[in-house]
Amino acid sequence: MTDDDTVRPLGTVALSTWIDRIWAWSRFIPASGCSGSLAAVVLAVALVVLDQWRLTVPTVAIGIVVALTLALVVAYAVRRYQGWRFELQDDALYLERGVVTVVETAVPFVRVQHVDTQFGPIERVLGLSSVVVYTAGSRNADVRIPGLTPDRARSLQETLRELAIESEAEDAV
Amino acid sequence: MLALQRGVTGFSMPFFFVMISASVVDFVAIGWVFWLAPIGFVAGAGYGLAHYYRFGYAVTADTVDVSSGVFSRRSREIPYRRIQNVDVSQGLLQRVLGVAVVSIETAGGGDTEATLRFVSDDEADWIRAEIRRLTAATAESTADSDADRPASAAESVPASPAASTRRDRSEDGTAPTQLFELEAGELLLYALSSFRWGAAVFPLVLVLFLTDADSGTNLVPAFVFDAARPFGGPATLEGAAVGPLLVLIAVSLVQWSVFTYVSSAVYTIASYYGFRLGRAGDDFVYERGLLQRYSGSIPADKVQSVTIAENPLQRLLGYAGLWVETAGYGPDSGDGSQATVPMARRDRVSRFAENLTGAKPSRFQSPPPLARRRYLVRYALIGCVVVAAAFGLARVSALERWYLAAVVFVAVPPAAHLRYANLGYVVGDDHLVIRTGFWKRRTTVIPYYRIQTVATRRSVFQRRLELASLTVDTASSRTFVWGTPTIYDIDLETAREIHGTGRERLQSALRDRARTDDIGLSVDFT
Repeated sequence: MTDDDTVRPLGTVALSTWIDRIWAWSRFIPASGCSGSLAAVVLAVALVVLDQWRLTVPTVAIGIVVALTLALVVAYAVRRYQGWRFELQDDALYLERGVVTVVETAVPFVRVQHVDTQFGPIERVLGLSSVVVYTAGSRNADVRIPGLTPDRARSLQETLRELAIESEAEDAV
Repeated sequence: MLALQRGVTGFSMPFFFVMISASVVDFVAIGWVFWLAPIGFVAGAGYGLAHYYRFGYAVTADTVDVSSGVFSRRSREIPYRRIQNVDVSQGLLQRVLGVAVVSIETAGGGDTEATLRFVSDDEADWIRAEIRRLTAATAESTADSDADRPASAAESVPASPAASTRRDRSEDGTAPTQLFELEAGELLLYALSSFRWGAAVFPLVLVLFLTDADSGTNLVPAFVFDAARPFGGPATLEGAAVGPLLVLIAVSLVQWSVFTYVSSAVYTIASYYGFRLGRAGDDFVYERGLLQRYSGSIPADKVQSVTIAENPLQRLLGYAGLWVETAGYGPDSGDGSQATVPMARRDRVSRFAENLTGAKPSRFQSPPPLARRRYLVRYALIGCVVVAAAFGLARVSALERWYLAAVVFVAVPPAAHLRYANLGYVVGDDHLVIRTGFWKRRTTVIPYYRIQTVATRRSVFQRRLELASLTVDTASSRTFVWGTPTIYDIDLETAREIHGTGRERLQSALRDRARTDDIGLSVDFT
């Protein structure tokens, strides 16, 4: 694991460096794909229930719908992973993300209220964690950086905390 | 400063709880009421009394402490520096009984942080004055390392108001200087020209109430038919032809709109009657309301952004309203924005806004014409959806000539143009000014030092056209209702540039603020 890239204040950092990218691929994609697959399963169950209860839905149709959903989910997860970038710039945390709508967000360190490290159930199984940065803003007040290893997440949290304190974290609200 | 411990005054708590418990019990079965209501009464009254005796608050040297709860206790300390606004409201019954509700707002959470119910009139005023005084005192003591005070408009706003108010702060505890008073004409104009969609519920409730009272089982009250009959409406719903039914619907809609309009106007008059805005130290203090009185104070250094709001009718008449937004949540509007000037002549409002924020009036920049094309396509698509819906309706009902729905396309070009024409932005030295909306045009002035995050968003369609929307987030809670201030559909290059400018100016504003001691807002804006 190379952790030093998160501590470095400058330079674009993708979700992982090249070496552990493959490693992360095998995990991050399932991580974001899991919820999507769950949706596919729910959809399948709903269709089966509909089939039993109201009108007949051909089994092939169910199969096709589920397969399509799964394909979409996988494509979405891959795109999401490819599009994800974050960077610690000299005054702000900069993020680029999104598939349908690409969002470039800058969170000035001065505005960071607190930083969380989160481990969701799926993430825990895969050995991943996320860092969530909160601001006092009203919309998009929490910015999430998913798909980090627990160690990296902790060191990133630490770095952000230090940067927030360094930038004289007085509040403006 | 002595810590003053006071019990909550007032005695209407039990009544309040009785009313709630009675209404809860009511729906079960009519017969139960007779023996359940007394039980509810006793339980409610008991709980109310317990709540009353277990509720306490204290105004100490540096915090407001509130402890409450019958079964699970909660005590809360709110530091003065964190208080956003303090509001006092008084309903009709409360006015008769001489009690008031004091709400203390902070930026945290999604709710009012401390609500002191049933404090006496004088007590409420005293609390408000005391909080203001102590907040000022706290700010004073930390004035050197003054971190809580925004100061970016140092150049554009003369330092005099801020400097002088700081000095006379201690002696102005009681008598605020009047800044603005809503005149009868302005109030009437405001009431008649503003439309509150919430009021649309009122006629419905009234109708439900009426049907419940007289006709009982009949779904549609008799007066609806009576009103529509002269125009060819049906006598009953059963077996009525499509034509008369349409007449009935149209007449009812007109009725409904008129009712809504009237009740909205009445509501506006009732809530903004006697509006007065004053200045006490660095705080704005306001007062309004006919039956239910509202009053409160908004610290000028807690103001996140300033918005001028106007609808087409008001624009036509040359009037507008001015709103300030804080990060707190108001008792009435459910968010942190307060009208500082609900309605006044447009030029006056512009002057107020200019004095208040120090933002010099300058030409708005428009998004590229490409944006207009985008809206054209967007609205055309909506038009297609409408026509498709009409077609679908024609399939399942007796509706013919569904293609007449295509008239909506006539509205597409003007709609796209109006949307485009009302978009505008100014990248000022100290402020970002964003204007959007035709029906409810809002011009928001955001000081750079209030920026929380900036985001450039590009949807699939925007990416194709190389356009982007720039969202500037502040801590203002008004954005929950009004949406985050966004510059829509500008060139990607421009968006990135403003994105960078915003970030840069935020940093330099923060540096300036550390050096100078200016709140960047002029309290004497009128």
